[in-house]
Amino acid sequence: MSGKSSDIQRNPGAVSSGLSRRNVLRGGAGLTLGLTGASLVGGLFPEEAWAAGLVNIEVDAGQNENPFRWNTDAMKSKFGADIKMIGLPFVGQYEKLVSELTARSAAYDLLVFPPYFLGDFVALGFLKELDPYFGLLDPQIGDDYIPVYKDPVIKRDGKTYALMYDGDMLQVAYRKDLFDDPSEQKNFKAKYGWDLAPAKTWDQFMQISEFFTRPPNLYGTAFYAARGFCYAWFVNIFAGMGGRWFSDDMKPGINSEAGVKALEMLVKMKDYAVPNILQVDYPALNEVFLNGSTAMVIQWNDLALKVANPKMSNVVGKGGYAACPVRTYLPYSRVMAVSAFAKNPEDAYRVAAYMQLPDVTITYVYDSNCGQDPYRWSSLKPEAAMKDHTGGPSLDATDAKIYVDAIREGLKAGYPELAIPGAPRYLDILDLYVSQALAGSLKPKDALDATAREWASITEAEDPDRQKAAYAAWVKSFKDVGVSY
Amino acid sequence: MRGRTARREIAGAVRLLPAMTSASVSVPAVQPRRRGDTGRSFGWLMIAPCLAMLAANSIFPLIYAVTVAFESYQVLIPVPHRFIGLRNFERIFSDPLFWSSLGVTAWFIAGVVLLQFPVGFGLALLLNRLRRYQEMLATLLLIPTIISTSVAAFQWVQLFNYQFGPINYLLGLLHLPQPTWTADPALALPCLIFVDLWQWTPFMTLLMFAGLRSLPSSIIDAARVDGSTAWQVVWRIYLPLLRPVIGIALILRILMAFKLFDIIYVLTSGGPGTVTENLAFFTYVQGFRYFNMGYAAALSLLQLIAVAVLAKLLIRLTRRASAATAKE
Repeated sequence: MSGKSSDIQRNPGAVSSGLSRRNVLRGGAGLTLGLTGASLVGGLFPEEAWAAGLVNIEVDAGQNENPFRWNTDAMKSKFGADIKMIGLPFVGQYEKLVSELTARSAAYDLLVFPPYFLGDFVALGFLKELDPYFGLLDPQIGDDYIPVYKDPVIKRDGKTYALMYDGDMLQVAYRKDLFDDPSEQKNFKAKYGWDLAPAKTWDQFMQISEFFTRPPNLYGTAFYAARGFCYAWFVNIFAGMGGRWFSDDMKPGINSEAGVKALEMLVKMKDYAVPNILQVDYPALNEVFLNGSTAMVIQWNDLALKVANPKMSNVVGKGGYAACPVRTYLPYSRVMAVSAFAKNPEDAYRVAAYMQLPDVTITYVYDSNCGQDPYRWSSLKPEAAMKDHTGGPSLDATDAKIYVDAIREGLKAGYPELAIPGAPRYLDILDLYVSQALAGSLKPKDALDATAREWASITEAEDPDRQKAAYAAWVKSFKDVGVSY
Repeated sequence: MRGRTARREIAGAVRLLPAMTSASVSVPAVQPRRRGDTGRSFGWLMIAPCLAMLAANSIFPLIYAVTVAFESYQVLIPVPHRFIGLRNFERIFSDPLFWSSLGVTAWFIAGVVLLQFPVGFGLALLLNRLRRYQEMLATLLLIPTIISTSVAAFQWVQLFNYQFGPINYLLGLLHLPQPTWTADPALALPCLIFVDLWQWTPFMTLLMFAGLRSLPSSIIDAARVDGSTAWQVVWRIYLPLLRPVIGIALILRILMAFKLFDIIYVLTSGGPGTVTENLAFFTYVQGFRYFNMGYAAALSLLQLIAVAVLAKLLIRLTRRASAATAKE
């Protein structure tokens, strides 16, 4: 027993005499500091963050987290890794990641992002090279990765920095009940002089869109016209018109004749689209097809799976699928990469490698509750497209064949998304000016000229020689796998 | 009775106080004491954490931002940043997006202030005339103001939804045209102004209402006895007497409108195109989407100067107006 407490016992009045204002202030200050310190330590170093085997996974929030969730128990039992999902917004993911990684944050072990971030992230030293980790778990890439999703996407300077998680492309989804209707076919032929069928050229696409525009219940088409990714729907047409991102000496090719024609066409397409087209983003684009208000849309290829799901769709059994006219743009996709600042890089790699193994991939790339699409030959087959991740039904046999064939057609004419250093800024500037043209604030030619000026200044700031070399290497990587460019 | 006498005595003493302290009473010089020094040191010690926080959170960032405004600092380009003089500022004045965002900011401020003041003042007059339920109605009016701006903006996203929004549903029932609201380049900025009007007019009303309540009733009664009409009371008495309150309210609203960000971020993200991209949003895009820190710092610095000058001007105008009122 201490002396002070004995005093208190002997003289209860000692307690009140010790309660001076100064003592109260001292005690209060001490308590405040103590509590603040404890909460800071607790907040900065939460116990679970350091638990062995915990992998913090950054991914754009929503349906794209699901494949990880479906495989949580399997990964725990196979190599003892626990996973924690940290969802970021789809639009704005780049800003958030750069802010964290520039501060060398260890908040994420495994990063899931589109490959167009890869050029910047490798240049800035944000990622670990994965080749040394291959011994932990063989990723079984071999010849099973579809070539356009292999070296051009996951490698830089011959080193592997990422593994695939999602192989995206744009695809035409159309209402086959309308396209197969004899009276529609007859009227269409009478008006345009050719048989109604999925468009092979952009002029045909516009004619079909015009034909089915019957407001307020049916519109010819819709596209992603909101700020964020409207550039991709422009590039999809630009590619078909023979456009190129840059010339060999790194002069912007975006304001070429092909670019202007493509943007004029996209602006014209608004006339055949749903009235709130400038608000249409990814979920809204799905919605306008799934609720039956459009005859045809161009969307990322996972829409087909949602069409077949009666919980999501009013047009079950009415969806037809085809490759985009002329060329098929391959925007977005997702890769998995290990953060250079990861606290748990080995387990992060194991999770990434596991998630893209052929037997695992095939379970989720045909599930309507996620947005992942095939990137391995082993999963690109109709029989795989008939099952979701539980083994339950996905597409029926006929639709599965049409869908897989459309993907194969798209791959033959794939047009790569820019993924050199600075790509997120080049693309965002393009998106900004495309959205201005769509909003009517700028004429297409002026919008693309402004884009070209800004692109030139990005190239200048990045170092023109370095950009030229990076662009040449990137183009070569696609040409090496047979993509014409 | 005793209480009244006491109050009179106290009042007399208070009247005498200034004279006593200024001339007639000589106050002995206070000798500095050691205890006083200790007290002063203790005082500094007590405010030291606040000063440290202020230095870390405000003073250092401000100095750093000023420095960066003159540098070629781009986070995403792995080369050292260097001093480039006034180039960031030159770029600002030749950037069409800066001018369009300045235009949006000006339109927004004009729209907000020109609409909010008359509506807010009108509501305050109505509130002031009520004999019952004044406080309850004032509290109800405040609801939009106390809702988090982001949450309010999300509500309006739903309300403005072309396909599923209740506004278009009601318009449809009435067989009226259903606009696309924030997706329409011509309507997007008016929509933002309307949302701000909805959220912040009650604040204006409350300030005006408090001002009206503080006016001496004798002047208004006298005016009525003299046969003034309601309009004359408002125009000749309320408005001149409320000038200081109106000045403060307008300063606050202009400054708030100048830095508006959250409603734009949630409701339109600056679109369609850039028709709703104001200066604050434009600066955010440069700083945190393109990580063009030098340029964003220069933009912030310009805005800081602009806001400071604007606030100074408005305060001066308000003071002048108050002085004129006092003279009248």
